[in-house]
Amino acid sequence: MTYLRQTLRSSLQAAFGALILAALCLAAPQPAPAAGAEQPGTVCIQCHGSLPDRLGAPVKLWRASIHAENGISCNGCHGGDPKDAADAMNRSRGFLGAPKEGEIPAFCGRCHPGVMKDYLASAHGRALGQGGPTCVTCHGNHAVVKASLELINEKSCTRCHSFERARAIRDAMQQTEGYIVGIDRRIRGFQAQGVDTDRLGQGLFAVRNRFHTMFHDVDVARVKGESARINAELGKLDRDLKVVEEARAKRKIAGGIAVAGLLLMAVLFHLLRKTYD
Amino acid sequence: MGLFKRLYDWIDLRIGAREIVEKELTGYLLPRNINGWYSLGSVLLVIFALQVATGTLLMIYYVPDAEKAFKSVTFIMNELPYGWLIRLCHAVGSNMMVAVLLLHMLSTMMMGSYKSPRELNWLTGFILFTLVQGISLTGYLAPWSQLSFWATTVATNSAAAIPVAGPYLVEFLRGGKLVGPPTLGRFFALHVAVMPVTIAALIGAHLFVLKRTGISTPPFGGELSRNPWPVQSYRYHGHPGGIPFFPNYLLQDLTSICIYLAIFLAVVFYAPSLLFTPDAFIPANPFQTPAHIKPEWYFLANYQTLKIFPSELLGLSVQAAAMTFLALLPFIDRSPERNPLKRPVFLVCAIGGFLLWVGLTIWGHFS
Repeated sequence: MTYLRQTLRSSLQAAFGALILAALCLAAPQPAPAAGAEQPGTVCIQCHGSLPDRLGAPVKLWRASIHAENGISCNGCHGGDPKDAADAMNRSRGFLGAPKEGEIPAFCGRCHPGVMKDYLASAHGRALGQGGPTCVTCHGNHAVVKASLELINEKSCTRCHSFERARAIRDAMQQTEGYIVGIDRRIRGFQAQGVDTDRLGQGLFAVRNRFHTMFHDVDVARVKGESARINAELGKLDRDLKVVEEARAKRKIAGGIAVAGLLLMAVLFHLLRKTYD
Repeated sequence: MGLFKRLYDWIDLRIGAREIVEKELTGYLLPRNINGWYSLGSVLLVIFALQVATGTLLMIYYVPDAEKAFKSVTFIMNELPYGWLIRLCHAVGSNMMVAVLLLHMLSTMMMGSYKSPRELNWLTGFILFTLVQGISLTGYLAPWSQLSFWATTVATNSAAAIPVAGPYLVEFLRGGKLVGPPTLGRFFALHVAVMPVTIAALIGAHLFVLKRTGISTPPFGGELSRNPWPVQSYRYHGHPGGIPFFPNYLLQDLTSICIYLAIFLAVVFYAPSLLFTPDAFIPANPFQTPAHIKPEWYFLANYQTLKIFPSELLGLSVQAAAMTFLALLPFIDRSPERNPLKRPVFLVCAIGGFLLWVGLTIWGHFS
């Protein structure tokens, strides 16, 4: 009988151990593999990412770009088939390769037509092919940076001309830029808390694009007038955000009352229990 | 009051309610030195009930479809009246359930309440603990956010470390090579049907075993801290001269429940972002891996352990061994002594093990 009980006990232990082992194997998470974490979506990155020097450098630069942040991969600009390693760079699959200098505005303008139009109308655009800057001169090519006033700086502008007029334009837009950055930060903050910021984000996106069209303008008076109109648009977004902020402040007050009420009830129940002791 | 008494009499005539109240409430006696830690079981019952209630409400508007899941959660959080409150209560509640369950197990361990004849109480509780972790893991995918998607990718990937069957198991769990719409379907079914029913059944079993063995006496205070008799035949551990469950200990339960709810609502209203990273509110994108993928806080120690060991299988085996040891603790620790101060080896191991777990969790968070 004792032998039987011991056998049964050890069998139960073994069975339970196996159950736990299986459960753990299913439940315990593992660290993501450091390499291989990227889903095998683009063969461009898989191949070029492992190549040295000139052929691999664009991938490293791209990873830190605004394009990478927004999910725009190699094929978004260069075309080709990102899922077929053999034909990824086949012209018949839409591969475009790298544009020549004079083709750069049209190359970028496929996605940024408004900006291309502003650029071509500007002094910069009119000097295209005559030593004037292209999109990548200021914005970078693979390490494409987000358009901001920081792009208008002495070091960059004085590569071609003096900084005086550029400085006047930048100063006129500085307040609006600060306003945009502030609203963007608040929208992102709310998004990180689960607030549906799609409409606000799209509104800011449109206003920011309008603002960025001025970046290629060299008429100081026009820049000042347009900045004032954009500030009025930003004011509407600011009011919408304040509505969200007020609603959340009210929630916190309600939460505070609930928490205080529960703590008070805990004290009352505790005191009541003491009376029975 | 007259109406209430008449109603009570009417029910009593039919089902003998007074007898039940006498037996299960006023006549159900508990040890005089019972402490507040014993009320964590009641707190857990309240949490489970809240999870079922909020989960049922969420199911009315949640759409378990990879194309629509994120939008439906966004709708619940922003458009539905008090939807944000229900969703946050459900999400925060799942984390709190794991935390309170850990405290419940820790107090049971320290007071030696797992010891013979209460092996089944411990075992059912331990299985409940793993199931609660499982239901939290399967629920994590439901919002179909970047956090959900990648945390599930990492978690399901762990099965790949099992020799031979690993890759097949990963594919079975995911319903494909990668996490995708079939994974959501599977996890949703597990989360809303299989696991809640299993957990409810095990809670029933846990309470049944508790009722049959009787409440253990805390090993502190006047009474003996050793188990009073060897297990040779079934015997109910009663507490003659003890305090009644109603009203005395029910008031302690209510005190603990109110304290818990106050902490819970403080997190819901003031610090929900403790449990959500910004990736939790970005739709899942299989082509964009977030910079830092970390599992939930209660898996961080497991996560860090796997990183320490050179082989994934070794790391997994060490964890499995540790968990199996914990599950079989009542069968390994056969001494009748229950006071932790009279069990120095146990005390050192328990505190050391807990500190190791906390250390690995913190390391996992910052690694």
